[in-house]
Amino acid sequence: MNIIETCDLSKQYGNILRVSHLSLQVPEGSIYGFLGPNGAGKSTTLKMILGLVHPTMGEIHMLGRQMEQKNRLMLLRQVGSLIESPSYYGHLTGEENLKVVQTLRNVPEQQIQEVLHIVRLDGQKHKKVSQYSLGMKQRLGLASALLGYPKLLILDEPTNGLDPAGIQEMRELICSLPQRFGMTVVVSSHLLSEIDQMADHVAIIRDGELVFQNTLEQLHHKSCPHLALRTTNNPLTRHLLSEQSIPCQEEGDYLILPILSDEVTAQLVFLLTSHRLGIVRLEERRKSLEDIFLELTGKERSL
Amino acid sequence: MNLLKLEFDKCRHRGIVLICVAVLAVQVVWMWVFLIRQASDSMPPDWMLLLYNLALVDAIVLPLSVSTLVSRNCELEHRGNTWKLLETLATPSQLYTVKLIWGALVLAGLLVVRSCLFLVLGVAVGLSGSVPVGRLVLFTLISWTVSMMVCALQQGLSLRFANQAAPLISGIFGSFMGLLSLLFPAWLIRCVPWGYYGLMSLVGMDWNETTRVTRFFWRLPQMTDVVLLLVWVLVFLVVGRILFVKKEV
Repeated sequence: MNIIETCDLSKQYGNILRVSHLSLQVPEGSIYGFLGPNGAGKSTTLKMILGLVHPTMGEIHMLGRQMEQKNRLMLLRQVGSLIESPSYYGHLTGEENLKVVQTLRNVPEQQIQEVLHIVRLDGQKHKKVSQYSLGMKQRLGLASALLGYPKLLILDEPTNGLDPAGIQEMRELICSLPQRFGMTVVVSSHLLSEIDQMADHVAIIRDGELVFQNTLEQLHHKSCPHLALRTTNNPLTRHLLSEQSIPCQEEGDYLILPILSDEVTAQLVFLLTSHRLGIVRLEERRKSLEDIFLELTGKERSL
Repeated sequence: MNLLKLEFDKCRHRGIVLICVAVLAVQVVWMWVFLIRQASDSMPPDWMLLLYNLALVDAIVLPLSVSTLVSRNCELEHRGNTWKLLETLATPSQLYTVKLIWGALVLAGLLVVRSCLFLVLGVAVGLSGSVPVGRLVLFTLISWTVSMMVCALQQGLSLRFANQAAPLISGIFGSFMGLLSLLFPAWLIRCVPWGYYGLMSLVGMDWNETTRVTRFFWRLPQMTDVVLLLVWVLVFLVVGRILFVKKEV
């Protein structure tokens, strides 16, 4: 079952379509990575899902129900969110900040201490939030989102501005949530490595359009290794390969072949040389995830 | 009720009480100086004179005070980027309403304390005549209603702009206009929202140019002015609310 489904979701600002006909499917219990370069429309999409921005077009289904103005707050009672920068009252302590959210969510007061413990802020709860570091503010934002232990957690770039230790800590925390509390986590980022280490499902958007949506495994599958062969006569080589029932495709000066066993490779080399074909290059290649990401999001774009 | 309680909780350490004390202090000092000067005149100060001057002081002090109070309450949401959190837990309409009720209660508290303070002060300095309790209550109600109109205007501005300079400038302008409007003809005062402090005063003044004698007299606000005041309140409420509810965070 999908915990979130969007259909044809679009948002237009002026004449520009910031989010274009997006159809997302977030499976329940997954960590769903929402990936895209800066300005691709990730935050706008997540805000639309939370009802903070009104879609120009399209539908949102959450927890099996179509989200409308009248049932928005009822559905969002089961959703925790952290959008862009953390929300906080700097003049109040961490605990007082959580008290505000706890009262609004109408959940037991003891959960404040629990979530403070989960995000490891129990030692700093009496400190004013204005004195917190950015990492602590992010953790407080996550604690707010965790209050009530919602079924769905929407985190928009939760590691933004954190130092490497903070990123690692936040990542571990997010990864533990589905197992510990049975939550579904939607986490957006502009960093593939980030999503690669956290998510099990991925959606990639570029200029507001969905360019990939599947499991992380499928994305990795796109990077499966292959052989690249270049000879002195590629057309003849191609002919010989087809006679041997070895699939290949041309890519520039190279013929791309699937990975062959050492024995078959040796036989192939022997076959080619016996036809007086010079082997100029024979190399094993593997596309990195970054290459795939750049390919999907447009190589010319800066991330 | 939860939301309203939260408004008061959130405003802790925001200097709200301090602002209210400052407003009261300014009004008391102003009136104290006036009464001392008046005591040396031939005409002994009475309750009528006190209420006349209180309306004048309100016109100068309250527009800026109301803008400061409202701004302190709304600024904490802008500063902490909390709209996107709050609007997943409550509707924008509820958030607007609860802030308005917070303002109404704070102003009611401030003005009731203010009236009690001047009642005690008036008795203590021995103002002539009997204590006009009914008029003092009505005066408090009028001050509160006019302040609520200013509050609705200021809340609209404070919620609209993250930078609180715009609403505060509006408050300063309001205080200036409140004073200046006392010199305007009645039809023009009706067009100035901050002018209603003076326009709705329970004491009128008549200065005879020939005899150079000033005469004060009790009066009641005209029905036209009451209706116009309510229209202003309604306009500021509706426009402010629509602008806030439509704003995407």
